[in-house]
Amino acid sequence: MDVKNKWDIIIVGAGPAGSAAGYTLAKKGFDVLILERGRQPGYKELFGGRVYAEPLKKIYGNELSGAPIHRWVKKEKLSFVDGNKLVSLEYQSDTSTSFTTYLPQLAKWMADKASEAGALLVEEVTVDRILYKDGKVVGVGSGPDEAYADLVIDAEGVNRLLLEGLGLVEKLKPEQVAIGAKETIKLGEDKINERFGLSKGEGMAWLLMGSITDYIPGGAFVYTNKDSVSIGLVLHLGHAIKEVKEHISQMVEKLRLHPQLRNLWIDGDIMEYGGHLTPEAGPAMMPKKLALNGLLITGDAGGLLLNVGYTIRGVDFAAYTGYLAAEAAIEAHEKGGFTESNLSVYEKKLRDSFVYKDLTRLTGMQDLYSDAKMFKALPKLAVGTASRVFEIGLETPGIWNSFTQARKEAGFGLFSLAWKGYKLMKKM
Amino acid sequence: MRIVLGIKWVPNTQAVRFDPKTGTLIREGVPSIVNPHDLDATEFALKLKDKFGGRITAITMAPPAAIMGLQHVIGMGVDDGILASDRAFAGADTLATSYVLAKVIERIGDVDLVVFGQETIDSSTAHIGAQVASWLKLPYVYYVEELVDYDESKKEIVFRRKLEDREEVYKVKLPAVISVAMHSQKPRPVRMSYKIRAKLENPIQVWTNKDMGLDPRCIGLKGSPTIVAGITWTPEVPRKKQVFKGDPKEAVKWLIEKLKEEGVLPF
Repeated sequence: MDVKNKWDIIIVGAGPAGSAAGYTLAKKGFDVLILERGRQPGYKELFGGRVYAEPLKKIYGNELSGAPIHRWVKKEKLSFVDGNKLVSLEYQSDTSTSFTTYLPQLAKWMADKASEAGALLVEEVTVDRILYKDGKVVGVGSGPDEAYADLVIDAEGVNRLLLEGLGLVEKLKPEQVAIGAKETIKLGEDKINERFGLSKGEGMAWLLMGSITDYIPGGAFVYTNKDSVSIGLVLHLGHAIKEVKEHISQMVEKLRLHPQLRNLWIDGDIMEYGGHLTPEAGPAMMPKKLALNGLLITGDAGGLLLNVGYTIRGVDFAAYTGYLAAEAAIEAHEKGGFTESNLSVYEKKLRDSFVYKDLTRLTGMQDLYSDAKMFKALPKLAVGTASRVFEIGLETPGIWNSFTQARKEAGFGLFSLAWKGYKLMKKM
Repeated sequence: MRIVLGIKWVPNTQAVRFDPKTGTLIREGVPSIVNPHDLDATEFALKLKDKFGGRITAITMAPPAAIMGLQHVIGMGVDDGILASDRAFAGADTLATSYVLAKVIERIGDVDLVVFGQETIDSSTAHIGAQVASWLKLPYVYYVEELVDYDESKKEIVFRRKLEDREEVYKVKLPAVISVAMHSQKPRPVRMSYKIRAKLENPIQVWTNKDMGLDPRCIGLKGSPTIVAGITWTPEVPRKKQVFKGDPKEAVKWLIEKLKEEGVLPF
């Protein structure tokens, strides 16, 4: 049987990057095929729980109001954990720039948008190679089949086997990625509102560091969804493979059973659990080129994800880079074709965008964050100071004294603490 | 060979949990899949087609979402699909379901072989193959593992099936109905070109009862003599999480004592 095997553009992966690119290009009238490995878009993906809205608004405009948004985040919380004690900083606002959702729902919505715009979405297809001929990419292969296109957009995600196959990137190293694991606990909408102090439709994003990850660089997170909470851990893999003492699923269980946290969800039902890799190294894991003859690279595959500890941006970065790739393709097409020089406008667009600016500016901070000592010393300093200030026997302790004792116990010199703090603030 | 393949779109029971408070299954958010044992049947049918040529039509009776299941087996190499879907079919037990499927097969016409999976993971009755064969008054061989021989001119086919203590070989005159033993095949992966065809050419027809004109007394809830009187479940026993640390010999003694205390060991 003869089946159509030539498209204008083939997109590999119906995640946020691929679907945003597919939507933008199909809307312009391109003949687009999106190939997805999972049975449905989003089935192969995992994230913590929060998406920043502004980049998606730029892509979808008012249509974003139809997206499966669970809660708009109006409470941010950061906690330092040491043993059974924790110190928290909370920010509350009547405005919000991010929302919580289930990624499979959002990915499905984004893929449906691409389909409605005219792209053909085909699930259950694993692309196993990018076809390269006479100096340019000409299509993709899957088992015995090949499909051809003038442009291929690689949105395959963090485990970039296709780019490895092309020799564009090396195998991922543990230092370049983090491992995430999470559980979703069903609790009911009212219980969440009561226990987290939220009104209907309002959400909370909570990040924790310290003994909660066994002091391994990374952090724990808690996000409130509509009627469930997502809790989990992200561990810097380079450290984790050397320092981890127990299985990450057991660490998630400890998070769930932590004496200061468990009452928030103790009567909930665990609906699902999962794990995934996330790129961590920023520019260091970007391929040398993101635009080649007939090929554009977007999203996690391009290393285009930001994790600076207090803020993790993956889905919105991925979607936006997919959108920029589509814009670049449209311009290249107007200029006469998908050559490397015409497509290089993608790299320029990236460099001019918040994505690249954030990634390069905050890269030094990632170095600080992967500084293992900080993940022990900071929580010990914060919790040590607070416990001395607030736990009173007979004598009322002085704050500076408490701080100095905690600082010495945490192993900080006064000067080095000031210097690290200064460097951190400057980067932020 | 003209083959009809029966499949069922089922909730992935590995992901379904039981709500002990209400006594019902929690299906919310549980993805559906093609009944895994039907993939053995699909592979078996595809092998016959590889060898003898012909055409395979997949059929199912289900709500419209089951189109994804038909697309899946078309992605494996099945030629086309028919979804029997109508509100009038809802609430059917295996008898009413097999009646509709038998009528679909009659309507397709000139079918040589009807292939089913051994049973489904969401109900495990293994009724459908036998009942369809009864409605159609055709021979039925179940637990089929292997094709032995096929004589196209005589329309005779020979299958091997495996039982617990023996193997049996059956020669059957076509048309016939078979069910394929679970785990007996290695289902092939979905192919890109087939899956693209499934999406572009839409080789799936939807047949409603308007098309079929079936007797309302034989379909849906009315055609279903089976009544689910109740469901019970095995309650989850919480683990006691006791750990004995120390010498293995002591540990064995400790463990035996514990098991006696619990009444697990009677002596």
